[in-house]
Amino acid sequence: MAVAALSTSRLTKDYGGGHGLFDLDLVIHPQQVFGYLGPNGAGKTTTIRCVMGMIRPTSGSAHVFGIDCMRDAVEVKKRVGYLPGDIPQFGGMTGTEIVAYFGGMRGGVDAKRVSGLCDRFDLDLGRRFREYSSGNKQKLGIVLAFMHAPDLLILDEPTGGLDPLNRQEFYRLLREERDSGATVFLSSHVLSEVEHVCDQVGIIRAGRLVRVADLAELHRIRFHHVELEFADGSDIPEKAMRHAEGVTDVKVEGHIVTCTVHGSFAPLLDALHGAEVTNLVSREPSLEEMFLEYYQERSELPLLP
Amino acid sequence: MSFLYSLRLTRWGIAGFSTLAFTLTLLQSVGFYQVVGHTPAERAAFGRSMAQLAAQFTVLIAAPIRPDTVGGYVQWRAYSFFAILFAIWALVSAYGAARGDEERGMVEQILATGTARADALVTRILSFAAGCVVAVTAAAVGVVVGVSGAHESIGIDSLAGVSVNLLALALSCYALTLLVCQFAASRYATAASAIVMLGLFLLNSLSRQLDQLSGWRWLSPFRYYDLSQPLAPAGAFDVRGVEVLFGSAALMTVAAAVAFSYRDVGSPLVRIPVAPHPVVREPDRNPVWRVPVLRDLYDRRAGLAAWTAGVALLGVLMVILTRSMVEPLLALAQLRPYFNVFITGGVYPSFLGFIWFGFAQLLIAGYAIAQVARWSAEDTDGRLEALLSSPISRRGVLIERATVAMIGALVIAAVSGVAVGIESHVQSIDLNQGRLIAASLLLVAMAMFFAAIGALLASLLPRATVGLLGGFAFVSYFIVQLAPIFHWPTWTQDLSAFHLYGQPLSSGVDVTGLVIMLLVVAVGFVASALMMGRRDVGA
Repeated sequence: MAVAALSTSRLTKDYGGGHGLFDLDLVIHPQQVFGYLGPNGAGKTTTIRCVMGMIRPTSGSAHVFGIDCMRDAVEVKKRVGYLPGDIPQFGGMTGTEIVAYFGGMRGGVDAKRVSGLCDRFDLDLGRRFREYSSGNKQKLGIVLAFMHAPDLLILDEPTGGLDPLNRQEFYRLLREERDSGATVFLSSHVLSEVEHVCDQVGIIRAGRLVRVADLAELHRIRFHHVELEFADGSDIPEKAMRHAEGVTDVKVEGHIVTCTVHGSFAPLLDALHGAEVTNLVSREPSLEEMFLEYYQERSELPLLP
Repeated sequence: MSFLYSLRLTRWGIAGFSTLAFTLTLLQSVGFYQVVGHTPAERAAFGRSMAQLAAQFTVLIAAPIRPDTVGGYVQWRAYSFFAILFAIWALVSAYGAARGDEERGMVEQILATGTARADALVTRILSFAAGCVVAVTAAAVGVVVGVSGAHESIGIDSLAGVSVNLLALALSCYALTLLVCQFAASRYATAASAIVMLGLFLLNSLSRQLDQLSGWRWLSPFRYYDLSQPLAPAGAFDVRGVEVLFGSAALMTVAAAVAFSYRDVGSPLVRIPVAPHPVVREPDRNPVWRVPVLRDLYDRRAGLAAWTAGVALLGVLMVILTRSMVEPLLALAQLRPYFNVFITGGVYPSFLGFIWFGFAQLLIAGYAIAQVARWSAEDTDGRLEALLSSPISRRGVLIERATVAMIGALVIAAVSGVAVGIESHVQSIDLNQGRLIAASLLLVAMAMFFAAIGALLASLLPRATVGLLGGFAFVSYFIVQLAPIFHWPTWTQDLSAFHLYGQPLSSGVDVTGLVIMLLVVAVGFVASALMMGRRDVGA
């Protein structure tokens, strides 16, 4: 079996007071785009900085292609491209000098690849870093992370500051990298981003991984907003609907009823048996809505195995 | 913008300059009684000696009035120096208020709260004025404490006068910087302000010796400061001069506020159109970026060139001044005991060793501190994280940093050493070549001594490193300068980093000092490597 591109074993960074990262067990297989989702302060950046060897874990371990991230940090970084959450401040250096500096440290960076990346994102390397807009700084960060065609890309909220067109270009780049053999570990708090590019998703909250699922699985746990219109004068089976399994938020306004259906529609349809429904609209929620619902009602809803 | 918040932004400056002002006035007033003698005749002779000594330095500071009195002496030795010190504080503080906060995005946040631009600017100058009041009061308290120790007193009106004069100068310099910063791009604002300030300072100081400039010195705020010397018994408090300083501060603040209201936040009032350049998509082809150490030296080439040229020029200047300074001083019998402290070989090499290499140590320490400041900044602004995301170990980063600092110090020491050697030859000062080389190379050891301590501090307390290291250098320098005058015990001199340097130009290399320096360098960098390997980056 191929060695995991990235794996962690009970990885913990305890900052005290319940803050940090706790007992993270994660395996990301090669050529996979893994989305690491969580709200602000959930522990996404802490995980990434532990893997990159920037901070020392309190306990546990992390490996990249089987190489220990703390013990053999230099070997790990030969195979990794890293985009930090906050782009470093390079002051008065020009973009071309910054790329040459870090390219020189790595060695073997193809100038054609750099110019290809700059073309894609329309980035002018001739300007000084302090003159760059936040979007251009982010583009420079992307160039620095991708310029050496790494085997593993670790990207901490990579699309911050990018406009929608450049964001789409970035998603295309991620797919191309995956197709050419790279693995991507991408942190985000934007579910639509994950929807676009990820094969698998890990959800982290309060420093703990609460779920790992592929996209299809995520879609299965989606819920639906349903709106039913009953014929004038017909009976509305409100009580039966409220008792139906997986049906929540039942609201009646005249002859229109709205509710939320989790999982199968069968219990709702059973509850509607004999009622005169003239219109039924089911709206699939966005991943964002699902994510919020997931966090809000996690204690009430059973997790999938 | 609240006044208290603005005051909070300058709290470290207020604390530092107040402490410094208090310490300097205290030391100078206490030191006066150590060197002035006990009888009226001895005091008069001391006064004449000081007047002759001061005559050699009028190109920098005004001649003293009655230096045989504690008031005249402290006015000359402390308050003349404060003019430079407080002008630098005003420059740094005003740049921060006018442009530094803009770079950090604070000004946008403040203006977004509905604060008027003029209000924001005026609040900053008022908070600086409040801080200055604290600092000038601390200086006055230092004089009172020092003088009362000798059971003498000094008039409260004199102290108030000298304090108000200093406050007026500081505010004038602050307002001037505020105004200049409105017209310069952020990255040039400090340099532009510094050039204007230095120009006005030199205009006043050089006009004391060059008559051609005397017609222009009314432009310089330092001129109006010099008009008052109220601490000296016969010194005047020039009300008109103080009024001009306060008035110019008010006018320049208004002008700065008007300019600020017309310019874009983050841009100067007058923008020079940027010449279009072709779009660049490729990395810089210069092969130097691929060579460890060289790439960092190349990145800092402008700074290194400035340091090298500056130190070499100062060295040459000191050599040129040596004969003209030393000959009149040697004629003063009263100063012989003081000179005997450091004249251990030839007279001129001893003087040059004491004056130039004493100062060069401070400069090279400053260079090392500047390197350490960069290391600390790299930690907090994310550059260290970017470096470590490349295949380079933490130890590798440390070794590269140390090597860059060492080569930089070597370049500065070598160029200044050659310049001093050549100029000494021109001035017919016979220097031992071997000792000159040793003295110059010892500067490298001194730089690495500070760099090693700085590296260790940067591994432990990156945010406090520059302050701690700068304080250590400053205290070390003053221990070396003051210990012989105050007859402090030997162990106090051992506390000074500069004591390890010895007097290589006149007495040869102090092997013990060198070994201690090298040991500190080795231990400092090894301990730093261990600490750095264990700590969290950016924490």
